[in-house]
Amino acid sequence: MADKKEEKREKEPMSVSRRSLLIGVGSTAALLGLGAMRYAGHTPLNRPPGGQDEAHLVSACIRCERCYEACPRKVIVPAKIEDGLLGMRSPMLDFETEYCDFCQAENGGVPKCVEVCPTEALVLPAGATAESTIIGRAVIDTSTCLAYRDTGCRECYDACPYGAIELTDVSINPHPYVIEDKCNGCGACEFSCVSMKAGSLATTGAKRRAIIVEPISAYN
Amino acid sequence: MAAEAKKTTGDLSEKLRTQKLRTTIAAVVFVVMAAGLILGVSTGTMSGFGWESISALCPLGALGTMIATKTMVPRAVVSLVIMALLIFLVGRAFCAWLCPSMLITRLRDYLRTPAKRRELAAANHDKMVDIAKYEIAESKAAAQSLSAPSRHPERSEGSSAAQPLTADEKKALTGCSSSGCATCSSCKQPHAALDSRHYVLGGALLSTAIFGFPVFCLVCPVGLTFATVLVVWRLFAAGDMTIAVILVPALLIIELVFLRKWCTRFCPLSALMNLVGRFSKTFVPVIDDSKCLETSQGVPCSRCAQVCECDINIRHIDYGERTLADCSRCRNCADVCPTKAITFPVFAGAKAKAKTGINADEPAVVMIDEEALEVPSA
Repeated sequence: MADKKEEKREKEPMSVSRRSLLIGVGSTAALLGLGAMRYAGHTPLNRPPGGQDEAHLVSACIRCERCYEACPRKVIVPAKIEDGLLGMRSPMLDFETEYCDFCQAENGGVPKCVEVCPTEALVLPAGATAESTIIGRAVIDTSTCLAYRDTGCRECYDACPYGAIELTDVSINPHPYVIEDKCNGCGACEFSCVSMKAGSLATTGAKRRAIIVEPISAYN
Repeated sequence: MAAEAKKTTGDLSEKLRTQKLRTTIAAVVFVVMAAGLILGVSTGTMSGFGWESISALCPLGALGTMIATKTMVPRAVVSLVIMALLIFLVGRAFCAWLCPSMLITRLRDYLRTPAKRRELAAANHDKMVDIAKYEIAESKAAAQSLSAPSRHPERSEGSSAAQPLTADEKKALTGCSSSGCATCSSCKQPHAALDSRHYVLGGALLSTAIFGFPVFCLVCPVGLTFATVLVVWRLFAAGDMTIAVILVPALLIIELVFLRKWCTRFCPLSALMNLVGRFSKTFVPVIDDSKCLETSQGVPCSRCAQVCECDINIRHIDYGERTLADCSRCRNCADVCPTKAITFPVFAGAKAKAKTGINADEPAVVMIDEEALEVPSA
């Protein structure tokens, strides 16, 4: 943007063709520079269903914002610039306030975001189900998990729709663990985790919940 | 000459009735879409307007996504065809009637101090009237030289007869006050088939092809306007603090305020619409020469050129930065025309012929608005 601004400083005497050329060259340089952000990349994000091919999503998404609008649970949010300029305003899942149920209740198991996406940036293979679409994988931080401090907490275990969390039977206060093969990263566990709720874990200084969904691109 | 002198306000903006309508329409559409975005009603944004799974995509976005993914996306192809047809019908009407950038530009103009506004209007007025004066003098000279052979047969040869006045004489005669030009004809604008916007469009598509993602979408002012709504809403509703709250509006301001004439010189969407709009023959403004002050009475007016939002000088096309290929059907010119000489017929060609055919040699009965001849009062 900066170089575009500079050439405009020059005043009237500039000929029209010279000005056109400067605007064209300046803008092209700026847009190529912006394009080079592709190589800067961004931090891995949990993408909505059908957005698991990261390269395809980034290529096809025009930031039209239809998926945020369509999401009945408002779990799709625009990615922040802090996660990388390239991914800015692209769709990601935020499990703080909701989780993705593949529109089971709202649309019979066909994700609405995939349905509305006009550029097919979000696209599921035929016959894709919630179980076969791996958004990410739940990971428990045992240092901040309340259950691992023998509080008897089992919120995530209760929340998981896919039986991907099981409990150890070692004591009267069982500890949850993730069955990786069953987890599709829907975020129900992260959504229900109470470790960050006020008062419950004031002393550990944790920045995020004890069970979070890690994006597939983070471990693939 | 004038039937009766009206109160001179000198402010053309008061006459722009359609502009108020357009601004209202664009504002209502924007608010509805922004509300849809926040409330989750599936109206889409301007980048992908539609209902549920039906979407009309932004043509540049449609092109970008297909170039980046190197695949044909059915919805994008259909959108492109629909958009091309619409542009063929009404040119760049989107720019004047719907584009949220237009609202921001309007806001920018509104926020100018009255003194600055008057200064800009006066400069624009002087420039356009100078061009009109010069062109009227030119055409008179040409008319003289045409009739010259009958009166002075001995001077009938040589091109000098066609130029009875030197440039300096003409300058003195017309009182051209614009600085830095030898004659007004040096202010003529070359109208190349492609202009700076097309270079920006080319750059955007080139970058998209090289790096494989729709690069321009990241900085598109239309998208950024809706992004502003979203980030600000999320800031308050979800406490989602991000640099984008500052950066997105800042980018918008850079594009629409600091890069003067974004729409005429930079916008690649405008370039894309120009490519189709140049073939449009419908709803194009037509001047009735028998009513126009300049052609019927030789009075320099050029109000139409002063108010054009697309930098077209409809009366003296050669002097405008853009041609009718870029007409956004904003109707500013028709609204300010003191003699109502400008119309937007369905088929421009037919109407223009009919007008010149019937009324060409009829003495014009014209209602003149005195303001046309006045410099905007400072």
